[in-house]
Amino acid sequence: MKKFLALMLAAIMVFSMFATASASSLAGTYDITVWVADAIVDLTKAQIEKFNQTNELGIVFNATVEAVGEGDAATQMVTDVEAGGDLFCFAQDQFARLVQAGALAKLGVKAAETVQTTSDAGAIAAATVGDTLYAYPLSADNGYFMYYDKSVIPEEHIDSLEALIADCEANQKYFAFEMQTSAWYLASFFFGTGCVSEWTTDDEGNFISVHDTFNSPEGLIAAKGMQKLVTSPFHLSAAGADQFANGAAILVSGTWDSVKAKEILGENLGVADLPSFEVDGQSYHLGSFFGFKLMGVKPQVDAAKAAALHQLAQYLTGYECSMERHAQNGWGPANLEAQATEAVQNDPILAAVRTQREYSVVQSAIQGMWWDIAKVIGDDVKAATDDAALQAALDSYSAKINDVFGIDTSILLFVGAWNNWNNGDEADTYHLKDGSVTLDVPESDYMGGRIVNLTTWDTNKGFAQVVSGAEYIKDLGADNPDNNIVFAEPGNYTVTLNGAEITIVKN
Amino acid sequence: MTKYSDLEYLKLSKGEKLLYKITQFFCAIPRKILGLFVALWNLIKKTGSAIGREAKDIIFTFIHGDWKTKISFFVMGFGNLARGQILRGLLFLFFQIIFIGYMILAGGYWLSMLPSLGKVGPVEEYDYIFDAYVTTYNDNSFKILLYGVLTIFFVIAFIYTWRVNVRQNKLAEQILKSGKKLKSGKDDLRSMVDDHFHTTLLALPMTGILIFTVLPIVFMILVAFTNYDGAHDGYYSNLFTWVGLDNFNTMLNWSVSTSGGSQSYAATFGEILSWTLMWAFFATFTNYFLGMFVAMAINKKGIRLKKLWRTVLVMTIAIPQFISLLYVSKMFAKNGIINGFLMNMGWITEALPFWEDPTWARITVILTNVWIGIPYLMLITTGILMNIPADLYESARIDGANPWQQYTKITLPYMLFVTGPYLLTSFTGNMNNFNVIYLLTGGAPTNSAASSAAGSVGYTDLLITWLFKITQGAESQYYLASVVGILVFVVVALISLVVYNVLPSIKNEEDFQ
Amino acid sequence: MSEKILLEQNASPIQKRHMGLKATRALSNTAIYALLIAISIIWLVPFVCILLQSFRVESTWQVGYVIPQKWGFDNYVNLFQTDFPRWYTNTFIAALVTAVLQTVIVLCMSYTLSRFRFKMRKPLMQFMLILGMFPGMLTMIILYRVLKDLGMTQANAVPGLILVYIASSGMGYYVSKGFFDTIPKSLDEAARVDGATRFQVLKKIILPLSKPIVIYTILTAFMGPWGDYVFAQYISFGTSSGMNVAVGLYRWLNKDQIANCYTMFCAGGVLVAIPVTVLFMCLQKYYVEGVTGGAVKG
Repeated sequence: MKKFLALMLAAIMVFSMFATASASSLAGTYDITVWVADAIVDLTKAQIEKFNQTNELGIVFNATVEAVGEGDAATQMVTDVEAGGDLFCFAQDQFARLVQAGALAKLGVKAAETVQTTSDAGAIAAATVGDTLYAYPLSADNGYFMYYDKSVIPEEHIDSLEALIADCEANQKYFAFEMQTSAWYLASFFFGTGCVSEWTTDDEGNFISVHDTFNSPEGLIAAKGMQKLVTSPFHLSAAGADQFANGAAILVSGTWDSVKAKEILGENLGVADLPSFEVDGQSYHLGSFFGFKLMGVKPQVDAAKAAALHQLAQYLTGYECSMERHAQNGWGPANLEAQATEAVQNDPILAAVRTQREYSVVQSAIQGMWWDIAKVIGDDVKAATDDAALQAALDSYSAKINDVFGIDTSILLFVGAWNNWNNGDEADTYHLKDGSVTLDVPESDYMGGRIVNLTTWDTNKGFAQVVSGAEYIKDLGADNPDNNIVFAEPGNYTVTLNGAEITIVKN
Repeated sequence: MTKYSDLEYLKLSKGEKLLYKITQFFCAIPRKILGLFVALWNLIKKTGSAIGREAKDIIFTFIHGDWKTKISFFVMGFGNLARGQILRGLLFLFFQIIFIGYMILAGGYWLSMLPSLGKVGPVEEYDYIFDAYVTTYNDNSFKILLYGVLTIFFVIAFIYTWRVNVRQNKLAEQILKSGKKLKSGKDDLRSMVDDHFHTTLLALPMTGILIFTVLPIVFMILVAFTNYDGAHDGYYSNLFTWVGLDNFNTMLNWSVSTSGGSQSYAATFGEILSWTLMWAFFATFTNYFLGMFVAMAINKKGIRLKKLWRTVLVMTIAIPQFISLLYVSKMFAKNGIINGFLMNMGWITEALPFWEDPTWARITVILTNVWIGIPYLMLITTGILMNIPADLYESARIDGANPWQQYTKITLPYMLFVTGPYLLTSFTGNMNNFNVIYLLTGGAPTNSAASSAAGSVGYTDLLITWLFKITQGAESQYYLASVVGILVFVVVALISLVVYNVLPSIKNEEDFQ
Repeated sequence: MSEKILLEQNASPIQKRHMGLKATRALSNTAIYALLIAISIIWLVPFVCILLQSFRVESTWQVGYVIPQKWGFDNYVNLFQTDFPRWYTNTFIAALVTAVLQTVIVLCMSYTLSRFRFKMRKPLMQFMLILGMFPGMLTMIILYRVLKDLGMTQANAVPGLILVYIASSGMGYYVSKGFFDTIPKSLDEAARVDGATRFQVLKKIILPLSKPIVIYTILTAFMGPWGDYVFAQYISFGTSSGMNVAVGLYRWLNKDQIANCYTMFCAGGVLVAIPVTVLFMCLQKYYVEGVTGGAVKG
């Protein structure tokens, strides 16, 4: 009976799909609010106007375009999603927060397919959680590189951090590179020596684990390199093209400063990828974050409006609009077709972006706290007087990273042992954040498992680590010297974790 | 400690007197806490018996009242209407109709949802036709909490009004029985500008305070017992719900592992609190003494252009702080005007770390606050200085007192006595001085040890800016901010209590009249 | 008043001592002049810098010098191509309405608490004292939602702002209550004996005597909205047309804006400072009287 009903329902759905697809259309007038960066407000207005005139679906947008910076959009959206922009642009690092806050609508199947084929692969990865695409890639230039004053810095020095610092000190000019105020820039040194900080999320955008190697021999090398810069009296932890007007000769920043930097330095403006630094005779090219700007659609109640907004978002992030933004503001497109054009290929600033991209780490979803935790390394390194202090700074950093998941003690994993337990491969893991998990335990030699903490548990590790007994959280007492959970017989079980209490019920 | 008799106490010097009072205060704390519990118990007993009395009176009124009174128990204002007090009667009736209407239309729903704070969160569905996801929003925890609390307020107001209605019937019956006349609507209106003028005057301000101050504060306190944050905003992402005392456990826990930092929340809180107190102390007293000093300098005899000096200083009050503070913060930047000037003059070779070094930053904030605060203090102290009787100085001079002695023996004691209350309010005001810190440093430089799950914490962060940062941080942990808010209240209240008990001049407002 | 002290000092009978102090006094006066001049410079420098930079034409970003190389009104002209006039009007309206309504409310409150003795008076004052100890920062979130339900956020932020400013203004009764406390009660009582109602006492007797405190209250109420950043930012978020000057101008100091808008920020700052400063200068006398009459009694 149930099956029959389901079949009926499916049939009706398919039928209605065909029946109404022609009848319902997107034609209509929609009042919307669009949030974009101040620099492209007027351009976006014009683009939406053009969309209104050229689209074949009869969509007319009555759009209010507001200037809300990409860095600020998430904070503003989270304030009140309902009152937020229907379309809004944001930097990739805000992505996780927005998904968590329920501020992003998933892309429809067709829209997702289109975007997959027309956009930069990295950008697509940046807008994806699990298998779901949540936003449209807007630009692929959200990284940093080096602007410099050619009248102070000789071109042959631009590859060496030490030479650059020396030039600045000799000329009493500043080296502006945000080391104490932003983790985004500070990570440059660590990525340069091959450190990583990789965070994984579940399908709902909740962070479940991290692989972070900042506290390592490579990390120490990075800290030593960073120390050279931050201890220079002419290092300036600041960003913005106007630093050039205030005595800076070098500025590490992104494309958004290009127009003003040109205006201030004129002919003297030089652009290059980041330099290398030398520690113990070995040279390391500074890495960087490479990120994307994305355009999101706010979840809608009305399906037609939602679909119309997705159409607009596709248009605004498409070839034509991307090229316009490049021409006017120098933004590097995320659209593949636009990326391939001559105008984009020959842009010297985007060339520097491309060169630096080879040394960069694509900025995937990062736990929001990381920015605050990593930010302080800059101050610590500056204050450090010896290598022990540098190491202490890194120790403090990794302690905090490990503790990120310690806050919510309910984020625990249940590691089931029946599948691959005895093969030494990955064991099955279950997420116990919501308190309970239901599992089918098959007949096997190892009908058991263990509750482990995410921070100390590496999901890639299997059997051996479980058996070693180092990871258990719940002491199951003398009956279970291995601290394992043992199921007496195969079957369907519900494992519930409440604080430190584990209850196992056979269904 | 030794207890002094009155005579011995009078013999003590000023400092000793103060010390004596402070120690006495702290010695008395255990007794006071005990007293507090006793008072609380008495209060409960008193309230209990009061409720009993009221209930008895209500029942008594019902049994012995006439039919008009009896109907009034169910139809408010009926008795008034029946006895010719049309205005009062209509008001009562009107209020009852509104209340019942509200409770049926909305209030009942809010109250019923309050224990769970919502049951169904948002649901996202794929629309095949339009190839788009649409979201259906359901319960709204935020509104449930907000309007639930508002409804409780309303219910209390209704019960009170109903009680007044019952009492009025009883009184009216008595008055009529004794052969006197009842007050007419005209009398009522007249009393609004006369006998009950204070009620009229207070009605509007108090309504405003109730809705826009009391309600939000009650709400804020309740948030501390929920898990309201960015990922549980109650409507768009997930519902939030009651979590009991969990958040207090998190904040007041000394164990490191709960904080996501190398320092526990409690330690971070303690560190920020100590700087907050330090800041409040310096901000208050540097301003106070320097302001007084400038006032005395300007008012000194023989100084000309008094008005000009005053006007220059007063400019800083007139110009909005966000302009002047933002500008000053840029001036002190590493490559700002001040460092540039000092370097150009050759006095320094490298920039001074005004905002980069913790100690420098703290001192610079305090100094900038002097710049903001002196003019105001100058105005206040000028007024008081003028009020000090001149003959006091006259006789002091005859006794051969030098200016310093005159200051310490006459000016200062007088000032301290008169401005005692002001100092207290300014101290607590400075503890919550959001603008100066937020606009000047934003809390920088970052305190690496204290950097915790709840956003980065800087060396110049006050509790109030920390609280703000928590709400703006990656996780938008409103519940934690709310806990901090409650703790700030506790600290401020404690300080005020201590000062109230030590300073004589605050206690009695009538002294000034 | 200070002149009075001075006169009496001159009349001191001990002329000899007075003469002996003359030299020291002259010396100390010179020191004081030097100090006052130094203070004046320190106090004025930021404002002069803002003023000068608002006239700078050659560049729009921050520079290391103060005196413009090229003078002009470009920044002021440019201001009017942005939403600045809108922000300015918003703030001005908010300030004006707040000044009127807040004054009424504060005076009602303080007059009542100073003049009347009723059963709930002490508990009420204690209650408000305790309320004042809660940090108001968090209540912002709730106020936002309440205002949103009333339709007073974002583009309509101005009435919302006004409502919030005046609604809680009753809490700030301390200064004016202190002032009313200084007016002798015997005046009221005499009038009451003559048969005046409470309202007539307020209108005919108290108000005429309270000019300084009324003006003080109007002035502070008027100045408040010009400087409000945090709350205004919260309820007008993402909507330029609902912002006040503080929110609008603050955005220009963002990293990606400052290079374009720094001098415009200065120009905007000057325009914001003008009405408040002028008003302040004109009414300074009353402000001082109000402060000294009321503030210290808190």
